Amino acid sequence: MLRFDFLEARNLRHAIALLQRHGNDSRVVAGSTDFLVRWRQGFWRPAAVVNLKGIASLGRISFSPRNGLRLGALATVQSVESNAHIRRRYQALATGATSFAGVQVRNLATIGGNVCNASPAGDTLPALLAFDAQCTIAGPQGTRTLPLTEFFLGPGRTALEQGEVLTQLTLPAPMPRTGSLYIKHSPRGAMDIATVGVASVVTLEEDGRTCRDARIALGAVGPTPFRATEAENLLRGRTLTPGLLGQAAQAAEAAAKPIDDVRGSAGYRRAMVEALTTRTLQHALQMASGRAVTFEEQRRLAVQTAF
Amino acid sequence: MATFKVLEQNNPRVDAWEKVTGRATYAGDVYLPGMLMCKTLGSSRSHARIVSIDTSRAQALPGVRAVITGVDFPEIRFGSGALKDRYIMARDKVYYIGEPVAAVAAEDEITAEEALALIDVQYEDLEPVVDPLTALRAGSPSVHPDLESYEGYGFTIEGGNICTLLDADRGDVEQAFQDADHVFEDTFRSQGINQGFLEPMACVANVEANGRLTVWASTQGPYQVRAQLASVLDMPLSNIKVIPMELGGGFGAKLRLAFEAFPSLLSMKTGSPVKLINNREEVFTQNGPRHPVTNYLKTGVNKDGTIVSREAYTIFDVGAYLGAGPNSGIGHGLGAYDIPNFRLRSYAAYTNKVYVGSYRASGVADMTFAVESHMDMIAHNLGMDPLDFRLKNAIKEGDTAVNGSRVPRNGLFECLAAVKERLGLPRELPEGHGVGIALCEWRSGTGPSTASISVNEDGTVSLLTGSVDISGSDTSLASIAAESLGIAMDQVIVARRDTDLAPFTGPSGGSRIVYSQGKAVELAAEDARNKLLALAADRLGVPQDALACADGSVYVQDNPPQSLTLGQLAAMSVTSRSGPIVGNASLSTLPYAPVFSAQAAEVQVDRDTGQVKLTRYVQCQDVGVAINPMAVEGQLEGGAVQGIGRALTEDMQFDPETGAVRNPSFASYLMPLALDLPELETLLVRVPSEDGPFGARAVAEPPGFGPPAAIANAIYDAVGVRIRELPLSGERVLAALRGEGNDVAYIGDELQELKRAEGLAV
Repeated sequence: MLRFDFLEARNLRHAIALLQRHGNDSRVVAGSTDFLVRWRQGFWRPAAVVNLKGIASLGRISFSPRNGLRLGALATVQSVESNAHIRRRYQALATGATSFAGVQVRNLATIGGNVCNASPAGDTLPALLAFDAQCTIAGPQGTRTLPLTEFFLGPGRTALEQGEVLTQLTLPAPMPRTGSLYIKHSPRGAMDIATVGVASVVTLEEDGRTCRDARIALGAVGPTPFRATEAENLLRGRTLTPGLLGQAAQAAEAAAKPIDDVRGSAGYRRAMVEALTTRTLQHALQMASGRAVTFEEQRRLAVQTAF
Repeated sequence: MATFKVLEQNNPRVDAWEKVTGRATYAGDVYLPGMLMCKTLGSSRSHARIVSIDTSRAQALPGVRAVITGVDFPEIRFGSGALKDRYIMARDKVYYIGEPVAAVAAEDEITAEEALALIDVQYEDLEPVVDPLTALRAGSPSVHPDLESYEGYGFTIEGGNICTLLDADRGDVEQAFQDADHVFEDTFRSQGINQGFLEPMACVANVEANGRLTVWASTQGPYQVRAQLASVLDMPLSNIKVIPMELGGGFGAKLRLAFEAFPSLLSMKTGSPVKLINNREEVFTQNGPRHPVTNYLKTGVNKDGTIVSREAYTIFDVGAYLGAGPNSGIGHGLGAYDIPNFRLRSYAAYTNKVYVGSYRASGVADMTFAVESHMDMIAHNLGMDPLDFRLKNAIKEGDTAVNGSRVPRNGLFECLAAVKERLGLPRELPEGHGVGIALCEWRSGTGPSTASISVNEDGTVSLLTGSVDISGSDTSLASIAAESLGIAMDQVIVARRDTDLAPFTGPSGGSRIVYSQGKAVELAAEDARNKLLALAADRLGVPQDALACADGSVYVQDNPPQSLTLGQLAAMSVTSRSGPIVGNASLSTLPYAPVFSAQAAEVQVDRDTGQVKLTRYVQCQDVGVAINPMAVEGQLEGGAVQGIGRALTEDMQFDPETGAVRNPSFASYLMPLALDLPELETLLVRVPSEDGPFGARAVAEPPGFGPPAAIANAIYDAVGVRIRELPLSGERVLAALRGEGNDVAYIGDELQELKRAEGLAV
C-alpha cells in the first residue's frame, strides 16, 4: 500500500505506545530527511509513521566534565556541528556533522536519526563510535543503556526492540591532550554519501609523545560502521612515529570489509581506509599535541572533494 | 567592434520577473478541471518477449479511469531519424529495463501508482546484450533480429547489431601513415551521462471538444513533438497543438517526443485531461541518456610536429533504439586542426539498454576528450610544448574544414593567446599541481528558422517565433529585433507561442537559436524596417534612402525633426495601401561558421587518494559578437560546469549483466554543486561571423567540450599519469599512480573485423 497514517507523538510515552500499537508495520521519523526518499524508492512502506519531532525535551545538548556530552536524539546535525563544546572537545564529531549532506538537510536531520538509520556510511557514526558513545533507549519495559558498538547489527538494522526509541547518546568527556578528526572521502563537497569515512581520536600521555589512548572507527567499509580495534591496540602505550601510524593504518585496512558499488570498488575503499586512517591520526596527533586547528581548517580537511 | 545600442549590453532577461518570482509556468504547473494523473509501468526485464499483460485488476481499482498497453496504439514504428525502429510503448517485446509496457490514468497519482502494482506482465526472457563491443561481434544476441525489414533501414554493412555507420575520408591515409615519421595510437572511453536537467519530463494532454488534441509540453522542439505524436497516434498533424511551456533545462534530452503519447492516448480514451510528470528515477531509466563511447585515434606526425594523417573510429552504443545524433562526434575527429589525410568512422551498435538521447553536442564532447588528450600525449612524446603543438597544427582561415567548407575568418588563435596570457603559460607549478589545456571546435547551428514582427500602434513590436526559450534565447532574439529596429529592449514583446500560432521552426538545440533563429529575427526586423521606411517616405514626401530608423522613430537624416514615430507609422499603416506593418523572414541554412574555444584547467592531485581537485578553470571563446555579454558568460560557465561534471564525477553506470541503470538518482549520479566549484574565468574573443546576426556566432555547445581533456592533461602535468577513461575519478588516478593499470580496453580486434567488413586492407 502507498498510504500510511502519520501519527504525531506528544511525548515519549505516547511515542512508545504508538509504536507498540502499530508494531512492525510502523516507522519512526524525526527530521524526515530520509523517509520520503526511501518511501518513494519502495524500501520503506510502513502503515504508520510516528513523528517524534514534537518532543522538545529530546533535542538538548549538554556537556559537563563529569558527565561528558549528552546528545538528545533529536538534536539536529546542525546543532551538533555548531556546538562550541563539541567543536572544542569532540572535533571528529563536529567534522562528521559538517561533512553530512548539505546545510538544509543538516538543519532538519537529527543525530538520533542518523544513528537509527544504521547506514554503514552515516557521517556522524564513526566519531560517535570513536568517542565511546552509549545509547539510552526507552521502551515499554523502561530505560536501558547499550554501547553504540553493540547497537548496529547490519545495514539499516539496530538493536532496538519493538516499541523502543533511542533517546540519548552519551559520550564520556575526553581526557586532556586529546585530538580527533573525521575525514569523509566523497567526490562532491555536499549532498554526497561517504565512499569511505574514518574518525580517529588520539590521547597523549603527559610526556606529550606516548599514546595513552587511540580510537579509530571506519565507515562505509563493512555492513556497519565499526572500530578498528587491532589498529588501536598497535598505538596504545607507544610513541607515535610516522611508521607506527602507517602500521596502524594498514591494520585498519586489513579490518575493512568493503564491497564494490557505484561509489567505488572494494579495492579502492581499502586503499582509502589506509590513506585516511594515516591522515586522521596525523591530524589528531597534532591537535592532541596542542596545535590549534580552526574549524574552517578542520572542515577543509574533513571533506575531500573533486571541485 | 561596431557600436551597438542594445547588443553588447548586459540587458536583463525578458523573463526575469516570472522566473525570480516563481510565476513562470512549467508543464507541471498546468492544472485543468477533472485532470487525471498518468503513471507508466516499466519493464523489469532487459530483453524479453511479452507473453501476456493482464490489466484487469488495475482497471478494477477504484479511481482508475483507463489502462493502456502497447497494443492500444496503432502498430506503427517511429524513429528519431529515417530509421523507424521503435514502438512508442512495448508491443510484443521489451528491449530494456524500464521500457514502458503500460500506462494508467487515475484520479490521483497514488492511485495510479497502486494500479501499476496490479498489472501482471508475463515475460519470456531472451538473452540480452549489454556491451556494444560484444554486440558488434558475430554471434552476439540480436537486439532487433528483423532490423532489415524496418522502414528507413539503409545500412550497407551486414553484421551484429550495427545500426549506423558514419564516415568521412580525404587523401591517402595509409600512404600518409607509412610516410609519417611517427604514428601514435590511443583508445579513449567516455562514460554514460544523464543530461541532468532539473525539470523532469512533464506534459498535459487534453482532447478538446472539437476532437483536436492539445499538449502542454516540456520540450525543446514543439514541431518535432507534434510530428512524432501525429505519427505514433496515426492522426493528422493538424489535429495536434503543442504548447511549449517554460523549459526547466533540456540539454538535448527534450528535442523529440518523450512520453507525450501516453497521456494523449489516455485523454482520448477517457475524455479527460491527463498529466504525466516523471520522477527522477524515470528520467534516468526511461529517457534517453548518453551512453559510453569508445574512441580510437591514430595519428601520423612528422618530426617537426606537423600532423599528416588521422584515423578515428568511434564505437557507439545506442541502447535499444537509434536515438538522436548518436555519433555526430566522428565529424569532429580532426579536432580544430588542419589534417590533410583522414579516415573517420563511427559505428553505432544496439544493446539492451535505455535508448540513447542527445546531450549538448552529441558525441562531440566525447571526441574532444579523445582528440585533445591524444594531442597532449603526442606533444609530450615529441618533446614539444602542448600549446605550441596545437598552434602549429591549428586550422586557419582559408584551410578546408572536415566538411569540405572553406574555413572563414575566426578567432581560434586569439582564444589560445588569451588563455596563454591569462595563465602565464608555460607555467611551473608546485609538486602535485598541474595545468592542462584543450582546444575545442564546433560550428554555429543552422536549420529552418522563421520570425514574424508586427509593429503596434504604440510603437512597440510583437515578435513571434516558434522557438522555445533556452538559456535566455528569447532575450537574445528580442535584443536583435530591438537593435535592428532602433528601439529599446522593453519595446519588444516576445509572444507566447504554440504550434498553431507560430510559423514552423527547428528545435532549440545544437547552438542554433541565436545564430539561425536570430538571423531570421534580424531579417524580419529588416523587412519591417523597410516597410516602415517606405511608408514614412510616402508620408513625409522624401526618398526612402534619405530616411533613418532609430530611437523609435523614422526621421529625415538631414533634418531629424522631420520624423514619424513607429507608433504613428503603425497607426497610419492600418489604413495604408500596403496594410499593417509585419516583417517576416524564413530561411533554411546558413553558411559554415566555426566556433572555437580554448580552455585550461589547473588541478591539485592527492597522491594518497588519487583525488583530483579542480583549483582553477579558464576558458576563452570566439563569440563573434556578444548579443548580451552577461548571458553569454552565463552560458559559457554553465557549459563548463557540465563539462567539469563529466570530467570528474558524473558517471551513469549500467549493470553489465542486465543493462539496468545502477545509479538513477542525483544522490548517486554526482553533478557539481555551485559551492564546490572554483571561480570560473571566462574570456570572450570577438571575431564577427560572416553571416550570423550582427556577426554573432553560436555559443552554447563548446564550453562543455574542454574540461575532460583539459583536466586529464592537467593531471598528467601534475603527477605524470595519463587517464584515458572518464570520469577522472580518484579511483582511476590512484590506480594509475600505483601502476595498477588504467588502460581502456584495446579495441584493435574489433576494428580489424570492422575494417574487413568495410573491405579495407587490414
